[in-house]
Amino acid sequence: MDPDFRGDSDHHDGTSDATPGGYAGQRRPGELAFALFLLAASLYLLWDAYGIAGFEALSSPGAVPMATTAAMVISALIVVLRTARLPKVATESVARDILPLKVILFGVLLLGFGLLLVPLGFLPTAALFLVVAIKYLSGRGWGFTLAVSLGSLLVIWVIFRIVFTVLMPAGIVPEAELLQFFRNLGNGGAE
Amino acid sequence: MDTLMAILTVFTQPQLLLLVGLGTFLGVYIGAIPGLSVTMAVSILISFTFSWDVYPAISLMVGIYMGGVYGGSRTAILLNIPGAPSAIATAMDGYPMAQRGEAGEAIGVTTVMSFFGGLVGVAVLALAAPFVAEFALTFQPRDYMLLAVLGILLVGSLSSGSLVKGIFAGAFGIAIGAVGRDPLTFAERFTFDLQIMEGGISFIAVMIGMFGISEALLQLHHVGTDAIRQQIDRIVPSWGTVRKYLPLSLQTSSIGVIIGALPGTGGDIAALMAYDHAKRVTKKPTRPFGTGAMEGLVAPETANNAAVGGAFVPMMTLGIPGDAVTAIIIGALFIHGLNPGPMLMVDQPDMFWFIVGALLTANMFILICGLTGIKLFTKIVEMPRSVLIPLIMLLSVVGAYAVNNSVTDVYWMLGFGVFGYFMRHYGYPLGPVILGVILSRLLDDNWRRAIISEREDLGRFFEGIFTSPLSLVLFVAVVLIFVSQTPLWRMIFRRKGGQTGESGK
Repeated sequence: MDPDFRGDSDHHDGTSDATPGGYAGQRRPGELAFALFLLAASLYLLWDAYGIAGFEALSSPGAVPMATTAAMVISALIVVLRTARLPKVATESVARDILPLKVILFGVLLLGFGLLLVPLGFLPTAALFLVVAIKYLSGRGWGFTLAVSLGSLLVIWVIFRIVFTVLMPAGIVPEAELLQFFRNLGNGGAE
Repeated sequence: MDTLMAILTVFTQPQLLLLVGLGTFLGVYIGAIPGLSVTMAVSILISFTFSWDVYPAISLMVGIYMGGVYGGSRTAILLNIPGAPSAIATAMDGYPMAQRGEAGEAIGVTTVMSFFGGLVGVAVLALAAPFVAEFALTFQPRDYMLLAVLGILLVGSLSSGSLVKGIFAGAFGIAIGAVGRDPLTFAERFTFDLQIMEGGISFIAVMIGMFGISEALLQLHHVGTDAIRQQIDRIVPSWGTVRKYLPLSLQTSSIGVIIGALPGTGGDIAALMAYDHAKRVTKKPTRPFGTGAMEGLVAPETANNAAVGGAFVPMMTLGIPGDAVTAIIIGALFIHGLNPGPMLMVDQPDMFWFIVGALLTANMFILICGLTGIKLFTKIVEMPRSVLIPLIMLLSVVGAYAVNNSVTDVYWMLGFGVFGYFMRHYGYPLGPVILGVILSRLLDDNWRRAIISEREDLGRFFEGIFTSPLSLVLFVAVVLIFVSQTPLWRMIFRRKGGQTGESGK
């Protein structure tokens, strides 16, 4: 192994921030496709950067974008050439090691979270997300799932809504009224 | 006198003291829980604290940063998983110690040494920063530009194996930072004629996506693996042990501060260099290095905490971050309307001294949090991933939404999360992306200022570089990093090094 390689040698997926994934002398499934995608995207961005001001002046708004996208194209090209020469990791497959069903499912769940956040409101969406996610991941009974997900949602809501005063979309839950009700209760009806 | 008062602000206001303490406590645990990282925590927290006053917000974040750098060592020792990049070197001898049943002793020594290193770092920050800031006032725009490029390149080249991937990541970050209307000419850049792109991409959405969501998605691969229970006994080390390693820790702290203070190099590099140093100077280690030598634990732990103070030097005086975490802290300062750079020291010296005070306090809390509550610690670290992962995702969504109350930011965050997920899988470092995003504006502005002042003449621009010693040093450094990646470099090295044989196989 490359002595300078400080990557994640157990899982090769860069689980910890400290250790980027990949192998030193092999390519993972899909790695070449990803590199090609980056190259194509970089080329498109370079063309787009050229469209900002062309070669009008060195101080034009397009100068730095063109330089950076050119750097992207060159580095992506080198990565593609280097990756293409490497042998494939024999023991891995895209479906098992890179993009398993679990990850795709969570991608969809998160997208759903984003879509429902405003129309449905934060509390119901988050509750739904946590219940589904925790039930699926832990495989434990409904009692555990509901207690943990609703309990932690309550804690998060109290901390962020009250301590950090973060405003989340209320949606169908009359959150402000609820909060005012509790405040009045806490003040003993004073004022 | 004013300076002293500013440093003591934290102590005179119980609320701030509490927040630093809470931050440090949280940082230690966040750093220690596999699957949570300081970068993730700080980037999510920015969005929650941005409506706060500056002082409380900074107090919390400084605490988390300090605590997190220390907390990363815990999992390195107990599980052989460095909780933060700066703890990579700690695992080399820390984990073997834990395997021998000496986890308690290892944690105890780590705590005291982190405290010691942190102290040295803060002291150097307090002494050096005012001078650096004064020097920085003489910097030309081209020097800032070169510094920014150097910083991004260094993070890209040193933090992982492949510099080309690092360069790609850094350039990508700069491009993200350029999205939106150009502040000088109002020209649209990378907006694809979409209205939502005109305001640019929120860097907080990028950060939370890359460090929160992508990490959480990766953790899905490891849901089944349970935390390993470790027997932890006595952790407060004896005075004799501490005294024995003091001389070494002084040396490694100095290494830590210096490396931390270089733009682009942070605690991870500092820790690795300190580890190497310890290996070289220790004639008779307690055990051979790599099998549980105490020296191999003392060196990186003093260095990475000393590097925190060091990293604040370029961050506060030049506005150039040393690594991903400092880049995020700079982002936090931006959000609170502060502009780190030499003018900060001139305009708001109180703010600088307040941060020094907060770092000092956080360091003391490390000692308290580190040496107590070990029972609670083992409980929290065993939190099942099946609960942890959905919670991280939830917090990421809330965090991305909270900054601008915009669902668009949530989508950006998710997009960058998925992209970061693939980047991690294929060995592209994420640090340079964040550095690029943060430094994009500084780089662009200073390049344009520099080239306009040279009347758009590249020849004059290079003449300027070659006639100024500072610019020349920076320029040579940038060129060297590039050359080091070409076959030319290997040819020179082979000729010099003689028969070193084939490398990299």
